Amino acid sequence: MTSAFDLAFLRRIGWPLAAVCLILLVAVLAPLLAPHDPIRMDVVNRLGTPNWLHPLGQDEYGRDILSRLVYGARVSLSVALLSATIAACIGIVAGLIGGYFGGVSELLTLRVVDIVLCFPPMLLALLVVTMLGPGMETLTLVLSILFIPGFARVTYGEVLSTKNQEYVEATRALGAGSARILFGAILPNIVGPILVQFSLTVASAIVLESGLSFLGLGVVPPAPSWGLMIRGARGYMEQAPMGLLWPCLALVLTIWSINQLCDSFRDAVDPRSGGSTRGFWTNLRAVLGMSSRAAPSGAVAPEVVLAVEGLKTRIVTPTGVVRAVDDVSFQVRRGETVAVVGESGSGKSMTGLSIMGLLPQPAGRVIGGSVRLATKDGRIVELTDLDEPALRKIRGEQVAMIFQEPMTSLNPVHKVGTQIVEAIQAHRAMDNAAAQARAKALLEHVGIPDPARCLGEFPHQLSGGMRQRAMIAMALSCEPKLLIADEPTTALDVTIQAQILELLRALQREHPGSMSVMFVTHNLGVVAEMADRVLVMYAGQIVEEADVATIFARPRHPYTRGLLDSVPKPSHAADTDASARRRLATIPGTVPNLALDRVGCAFAPRCAMALDACRQGDPPLVDVGGGRRSRCLRWSEL
Amino acid sequence: MNYLIRRCLISLGLIYVVTTLLFLALHIVPGDPAELLLSGGGVAPAPETVAELRDRLGLNDPLWKQYIDHLVRLAHGDLGTSFQDDHPVVEEVVRRLPRTLELILAAAVLALAIGLPLGALAAVRRGRATDRILSGFASFNLSVPVFVTGTILVLVFAQKLRWVPAGGYTPLATDPLQHLVFLLMPAFAISVGLAAVVFRMARAAVLDTLERDWVRTARAKGLSPRRVVVRHVVRNALTPVVTVLGLHMGSLLGGTVLVEYVFNWPGVSSLLVRAVEQRDYPEVLGVVLVVSFLFILLNLVVDLLYALLDPRVRHA
Ligand code: SF4
Repeated sequence: MTSAFDLAFLRRIGWPLAAVCLILLVAVLAPLLAPHDPIRMDVVNRLGTPNWLHPLGQDEYGRDILSRLVYGARVSLSVALLSATIAACIGIVAGLIGGYFGGVSELLTLRVVDIVLCFPPMLLALLVVTMLGPGMETLTLVLSILFIPGFARVTYGEVLSTKNQEYVEATRALGAGSARILFGAILPNIVGPILVQFSLTVASAIVLESGLSFLGLGVVPPAPSWGLMIRGARGYMEQAPMGLLWPCLALVLTIWSINQLCDSFRDAVDPRSGGSTRGFWTNLRAVLGMSSRAAPSGAVAPEVVLAVEGLKTRIVTPTGVVRAVDDVSFQVRRGETVAVVGESGSGKSMTGLSIMGLLPQPAGRVIGGSVRLATKDGRIVELTDLDEPALRKIRGEQVAMIFQEPMTSLNPVHKVGTQIVEAIQAHRAMDNAAAQARAKALLEHVGIPDPARCLGEFPHQLSGGMRQRAMIAMALSCEPKLLIADEPTTALDVTIQAQILELLRALQREHPGSMSVMFVTHNLGVVAEMADRVLVMYAGQIVEEADVATIFARPRHPYTRGLLDSVPKPSHAADTDASARRRLATIPGTVPNLALDRVGCAFAPRCAMALDACRQGDPPLVDVGGGRRSRCLRWSEL
Repeated sequence: MNYLIRRCLISLGLIYVVTTLLFLALHIVPGDPAELLLSGGGVAPAPETVAELRDRLGLNDPLWKQYIDHLVRLAHGDLGTSFQDDHPVVEEVVRRLPRTLELILAAAVLALAIGLPLGALAAVRRGRATDRILSGFASFNLSVPVFVTGTILVLVFAQKLRWVPAGGYTPLATDPLQHLVFLLMPAFAISVGLAAVVFRMARAAVLDTLERDWVRTARAKGLSPRRVVVRHVVRNALTPVVTVLGLHMGSLLGGTVLVEYVFNWPGVSSLLVRAVEQRDYPEVLGVVLVVSFLFILLNLVVDLLYALLDPRVRHA
């Protein structure tokens, strides 16, 4: 534990901890704090209103309410803490033994303890009270019994997950006995979850104690207890409502503070649970301030469907801001298929999602650039200027999208037909019957053998290939001008993959020029088959652009060359996948962290041709002739 | 199928354990069970009466024989007779059980109606003011014991505003409207805490669902945010929420004890409290037995329902 952790931890649990400590202090110092004897009656002044002597007034027997509240804390907390401690000791030992040794000892400890869980807690408590009579001892006993299984289960779970970890193995290797291992090596490492369980238990114990006392079956009068005070004040609530509200307030605030403390403990123990949201919001605010939009240059040529210029997308994370798309410009022409290629994390999918306005929210933001779309009715629309309702009219109608994993991209609880009908009706005023008929025609069109049946089936009833066909049918339902296909075949096996690619090609051929495709993939084999033009992305930037024949013949960027070298050559096709992969030249190194600042060429750390100059300034994306672009200083040497 | 059988067997085993434990409960207490049974009123019973009862209950038989007799009686639906009025316990329990179940069901429906939409709203507005206020309110509500909620409801709505009666019961057949009026407050008292539980689950489930691919697909189709949230998020988040709510129904069986007491609701739980106060052993044991059975059965139903809704559980 570093001191930084301690500080952050303390700040997070600050006020609940302070509140709990305060309540504990009140309980401990009750004799000093209470102005009166909590059980001394003063019947003449029953239900007396607040005065200097009795700041909160007097109860139905004339006892001082403030003193009873203060002593009530003592009673509640001592019962709760004592029973939680007893339950913890027994439960932890049971869990440790059961989890560590397993087998018979597991049966004897955990399963026996679990019997308690057969009964609703309150009922078990009442049963024991019947047998032993009410009182503090009975209460403590009952509560201890009730909370043993909780501790046993938590400990058991933690032991199972820690017992084979290195430090435990190490202790065992040193020849330590089981007891040493259990209490010396395992227990200290599961303190966190047990602490959480302990605070939970104390809160529940207070709830149960006050409940039983309220029923008159817990703490025996005249001892002060919040539950008993509420019980007593209930009869006089019309005359003296405050006498009822004070103990309620004390009870609720105590339980609330402990619960808050428990939540903070849990956050501290489990780093995943929202602990780092602060960083996220700070970063998000910074990104919102970055937004700057320059007007796009010039008009869009008539044959261009999509013109992206200087697109910048940021993804906010708690630890930093990722430059997911960094100044990306390209165009997609009518009827053309443009492949966007790159490793995962290169920003290729984010480019597609930015165009659609579907970035993860609230983390993803387009902070600059222009995305212009030529719509069906011949207008040019700036997508980055549109608000959500206007964007909605574009999605599905003008630009449709299909995704990598058809199983998770279709909603498992709705029928395939319903999901397609929904897509149609989002943009067309069609009644259900007409939309169903259209959906059926679409399914038939994408080559689904029994479209009528498919309509009524759930996604999990279809094969992967059929699911992707259904996805395509859904995407085509409004005859979009542009289809963004995000790794549409990656999750499918090779034969199905070929069929889906063939389907997409056939659909595009049917009405030449009607639909353009932006094909996002990491698979160069697919690129060779599908694309007219290729954009290679690396670290959120386009590093090379060329038409498909030339890029395969002569790459003008070292990264593209590396990608090409890592594709199995046709001569290797007979080899098994694994052995083929082993023989391939892979690009050394990994994709850079896009949250960090960088100077110079993003590929430099992995580039065999890198020079000092490459690390000085960002290489520009230069025109290298023949409609090609490259972001490499040494492109001419390739 | 296998899972189904295994799960049913476990529940049967639990029922057996409960039965045995409750039998033993009478015998492990120090003292003579017959004397205990008779000492209800707080006066020491006459030796002749004790002897007679020992005889009648077969307490002179060996323990194993008593145990067998106990099981046989239970199999015939005999839970013994109450000391208070010499009525068969089972009759009173059967008469009151539907009322308790009605209360729980009403509370669950209310909790779902309140917690689910608010949970979805908080999730959609994650991290913003709406979410923080709602989440804070929920965590506060979780800290208010149900009898405090109940008592304060009585204070405000019955004593001060005089909108509703402080408690009581009218059979549905006598006066349906009055019946609902009486049901409203106790059901609401339970649902305040329960709604907070539902809220938390719904918020978590919706947050989880919002990140699923099909939500992106739905948005890519151009659906309105409302439709996306209702049909593709909340609909999917419903399953886990309802399941966990079902799990809570079991623990509610115990939670009604306090509410029935506060509102004078004549369910099994208030029968239990009365019996505990009178130390009416047969009645206490009878109620605990029946309610525990119900508790186990309810948990079984929830587990099976869960398996039905989620095919992965069934095949695991
Ligand atoms: S600019 Fe330099 S480092 Fe970057 S790809 Fe070209 S040669 Fe390699």
